[in-house]
Amino acid sequence: MSAAATIPDTPLFDRAGSIRGYRINKMAMALGQPVNRAAFKADEEAYLDSFGLSAEEKSAVMGRDWHEMVRLGGNLFFILKISAVDPTPITRIGAAQASMEHEDFLHLRLGKKRNG
Amino acid sequence: MAKIIGGLGTSHVPSIGAALDKGLRDTPDWKPFFDGYEAGKQWMRDAKPDIAVVIFNDHGNTFFLDRVPTFAVGVAETYNPVDEGWGPRAIPAFEGAVDFSWHFVDKLVERHFDPMVCREIEVDHGLQVPMELFFGRPDAWPVKVLPIWVNTIQYPIPTPQRCWDMGKVLREAIESWPGDERVVILGTGGLSHQLQGARAGFINQAADRAWLDGIANNPEPYRAMSREDYVEQFGSEGAELIMWLVMRAAMNSDVNLVHKHYHAPASMTGAGMVVLENAA
Ligand SMILES: [Fe+2]
Repeated sequence: MSAAATIPDTPLFDRAGSIRGYRINKMAMALGQPVNRAAFKADEEAYLDSFGLSAEEKSAVMGRDWHEMVRLGGNLFFILKISAVDPTPITRIGAAQASMEHEDFLHLRLGKKRNG
Repeated sequence: MAKIIGGLGTSHVPSIGAALDKGLRDTPDWKPFFDGYEAGKQWMRDAKPDIAVVIFNDHGNTFFLDRVPTFAVGVAETYNPVDEGWGPRAIPAFEGAVDFSWHFVDKLVERHFDPMVCREIEVDHGLQVPMELFFGRPDAWPVKVLPIWVNTIQYPIPTPQRCWDMGKVLREAIESWPGDERVVILGTGGLSHQLQGARAGFINQAADRAWLDGIANNPEPYRAMSREDYVEQFGSEGAELIMWLVMRAAMNSDVNLVHKHYHAPASMTGAGMVVLENAA
């Protein structure tokens, strides 16, 4: 199974994504350790530099641009550790990828009732 | 010979564990979800298993992309919960069914599988959450565990047929084990969800409900389905449902669907469970 583009709007984490996203995912994986979370919080850019992230990757992470992080090969299971530091609810990350307002996303995609 | 006393399928969404940690069990969002598992918990109390085989996937917590085993089997004495970024969780460590696990490894290799064999490794929500759903929050888990990891993160993931074949070997391992342990098998993951891409938030309730009945009464179509079909029907992350096939193939072809529960959404996921018993 190699074709990543056979199902619309559904990127599969295949060879190309794994290679492309290796640095960004390695950086995020390391946030599983408290010492690295502290380093990330203390000086985010220096932390990202220590993993050799490109300028493009750094700006996606520092801007919390989830859509762009995934485009650059970030896999959600790794980059979720960034959301644990902030913390950002996963539904907000989903909404960002779907290019929808959070409330709309909850209602239209997940089938939750609208508030109020 | 050890005995298979039940086959369980369940979601393992991390938010379920987080909801329990934060005391949200009885909030409007979560109560219907957890209430539906009470029957499964009661079944487990009555069944009194000695060993739980848990088939699950790691989610970038234990394995990184530097080495990606398609199948891995634990033979450790103890499995600690891994820090997934939110800090350690207040749940007990899991005790390994060491000798039985090695026996399973022997059987797998004899039957031409090539698992990674893990002596020292932590476990993420993929194993933790199913255990919490069926055993609650005891001071110590009442069973020993045999963890089986399936790669569902980086493609190529294994085929549904391969998961099915592994289930056949699992059954053979249980039935050839000289002990008299009572074994439950937990196939975990799903149901429909997609976390990445513009289709993020995809949930397919109709396919999920069909799955819960079909996995019990007519699993053949799911064994024969392609990975692409899984992704299309259940979402990119929902394809982890292939892991239920390991459990299902270890059961008799005829089973009784003893309990069933479905709730959507749990976080971003269609969630639910089945309890299956071999038909006499
Ligand atoms: Fe999962």
